[in-house]
Amino acid sequence: MLAIFNREFRSYFTSATGYIFMSFFLIMSGIYFAIINLISGNPNYNLVLSSITMILLIGVPIITMRLLSEEKKQKTDQLVLTAPLRLSGLVLGKYFAALALFGLTLLITGIQPIIITLFGTLPVGEVLGGYMGYFLLGACFIAIGLFISSLTDNQVVAALTTFATLLLLLLMDGIKQALPIDRTSSIVFVGILVVGLSALIYFSIRNIYVSAGIAMVGFIAMGIVYGWDKTIYDGIMVRFFDWFSLLRRYESFAMGIFDLSAVVYYITFAAAFLFLTIQMIEKRRWS
Amino acid sequence: MIEVKNLTKRYGQHVAVDHVDFTVNKGEIVGFLGPNGAGKSTTMNIITGYISATEGTVKVDGLDILEQPQEAKKKIGYLPELPPLYMDMTVEEYLRFVCQIKKVERNNEKETLYKVMELVKIKDMRKRLIKNLSKGYKQRVGLAQALIGKPEVLILDEPTVGLDPKQIIEIRNLIKGLGNDHTIILSSHILSEVSAVCDRVIIIDKGKIVASDTPDNLSRRMSQSNRFMLRIQGPKQEVLDTIRSIEGVKFAEAQRVREQGTCDFLVESHDEVDIREELFYAMSEKKYPILQMKSMDLTLEDIFLKVTSQQKGGATYVSDLQ
Repeated sequence: MLAIFNREFRSYFTSATGYIFMSFFLIMSGIYFAIINLISGNPNYNLVLSSITMILLIGVPIITMRLLSEEKKQKTDQLVLTAPLRLSGLVLGKYFAALALFGLTLLITGIQPIIITLFGTLPVGEVLGGYMGYFLLGACFIAIGLFISSLTDNQVVAALTTFATLLLLLLMDGIKQALPIDRTSSIVFVGILVVGLSALIYFSIRNIYVSAGIAMVGFIAMGIVYGWDKTIYDGIMVRFFDWFSLLRRYESFAMGIFDLSAVVYYITFAAAFLFLTIQMIEKRRWS
Repeated sequence: MIEVKNLTKRYGQHVAVDHVDFTVNKGEIVGFLGPNGAGKSTTMNIITGYISATEGTVKVDGLDILEQPQEAKKKIGYLPELPPLYMDMTVEEYLRFVCQIKKVERNNEKETLYKVMELVKIKDMRKRLIKNLSKGYKQRVGLAQALIGKPEVLILDEPTVGLDPKQIIEIRNLIKGLGNDHTIILSSHILSEVSAVCDRVIIIDKGKIVASDTPDNLSRRMSQSNRFMLRIQGPKQEVLDTIRSIEGVKFAEAQRVREQGTCDFLVESHDEVDIREELFYAMSEKKYPILQMKSMDLTLEDIFLKVTSQQKGGATYVSDLQ
C-alpha cells in the first residue's frame, strides 16, 4: 500500500495535476478569504470554507480522474494486479494519495485563519470544526471520484461523470424540497427502488430467479409495512435523499457543532465507495 | 510447476479459451504459438491471475492462483504484450517501485536492481524517463520488471516484438540463459524464434490446443510438405504443361515473372514422393534450364492449415492454397 501511495503522490507532482489542483484551490480560497474576511472585516473563517465547497466540484475530479482509469488505459494494471498485492492495498494507497494532496492543500489554507488571529479574534474551536467537516466532505467526494475512475478507462469521462455526480449531490438539498411527500408517490418511489435493486442484482449475477425472488420479497415487505403503519411512507422520498445529503451534515460542522454521528456517517460513506471500487475491479476480472 | 486444467474463458457468447489443458515442468521453456486472437494472451492473463477463468484451474507450484493469489503471484514474473510501464517515472524509480510491490526486502533492493539492470543491459538508461526510451529499451525495462523478486516462473508475452535483429538475438539468449533456473512460458508469432528457444511448443488456434510437441518433432512433421519454388527459363505454358505431366505432381501453378525470359512456378507433389530428380531430367530434355529450385518455407499459417487439416483428414489443404 505504501509503495502505491508513494508512487501516486509523487506522480501528482511529476505531472501538472498536483500543481493545478493546489493552485486552483489556493487561488479560489484566497479570493473568498479576501472578500469575506479581509474586506468586510469578518473574523468567521467558516464562511470561507462553506463558500468554497463548490471548488471541490472541479478540484476533486482533477485529482481522482486519473487514479484507476489511467492504469487500465496504459495497461499498467497488469503489473499491479499480478503483483503479490492485495486489491484493498491498491485502492487504499491511491485513495490516501489523493486525500493527502487534498489535506496538504487544506493545511496551506491554514495561513488564512492564522492571519485573522494576528489582527482579530478567531473563533478557534469553530474553525477547527469547520476544517474537520470540510476535510471529511472532501474525503467522501474523493472516494466517489475514485469509484467513478474505476468504471472507465477514459480520464475525461471519469472527470465529467465525477463532476456531474458531485454537482447532483450538492444540489440535492435544493431538489429535495420540491419532491412530493404524499403517500401514493412515496409508495411508487419505494416500488421503483425495489425494482431497481433487483435489476441491479440481475445485471451483476445474471440469475433471473434470484432477482425476481428479491423483487417479490421486496414487494411483500412493502405490503406488510403498509398494513402495519401507513404513515411510514409519508415523505419517505425526502428522507431517502436526505440520507444522501453530504452537505447538510457539513453545515453543522460549519456552525461549530462537533457531530460525532456525522463523522461516522462521512467515514462510512467513504468506506462504502472504497469497498465498491474494490468490488468493481474484482468484478472486471471475472467478466 | 504450472498445471492448467480445463481452462475456459468466455466473453458472452465468444469463447476465447476453450478447455485448455497442459502442464509445464520445472525448468522447461514452453512456447505458445498462434495467430492473433488465438487466445495466447488470454491464457497468459489467466495464469498470472490478471483475469479469472470462466472454468478450470491454474496451479503454480501447487498453489491455486485464485485460492492463494498472494503466494502464487510471488512465484510469477509477467511481461504482458504491452510492457506495463509508468511513463512519468525514470527507469530506476520504476524498478524500485516494482521491488516494493513485489515485496523485495529493503536490504536486497539495491542489489536486485543492479543485477536485473545488468542482465537486460539498461544500466546506462537508469536515470532516463521511461517515456523517452525507444521501444526496444521499453521492452527491456518490461523484462527487467518481470525478473524482479526472483520468480521461479516467467510468463513472457511476445518478448521480442519491436526489437531490432541484434536485440532479438540478445533477448533470446537471455531467455535461454534464464531457462536454467526458471520455468518459462513465452508466446510468439514466429516459428523460428520458438524453435530456437523452447523445449516444447504448444500451438493454439481459436482457443484450443491443436498441437503440442518439441520443435524438432514439429518441424519434421511440417517439412513433409513437398512444395517447391522453381525458376525455369522457357515459355510459360509449355513449361507448366511439362511439369504437370510428371507423375506425382499434385499441383502446379505459374507465378510472376521476376527475371526476363523466365517464370516462377509453385509446385507441390504428393506426400512421400520426391519429384525433384524427375523434374530435372524432364526440363533438361526439353532444354528448359532450371535456374532455381528451393523448398518453400512454411509460414505459420501453413502450419495451422496443416495441423488443423490433419485433424479433419487433410481434405482442405490444397484447395485453401489456391
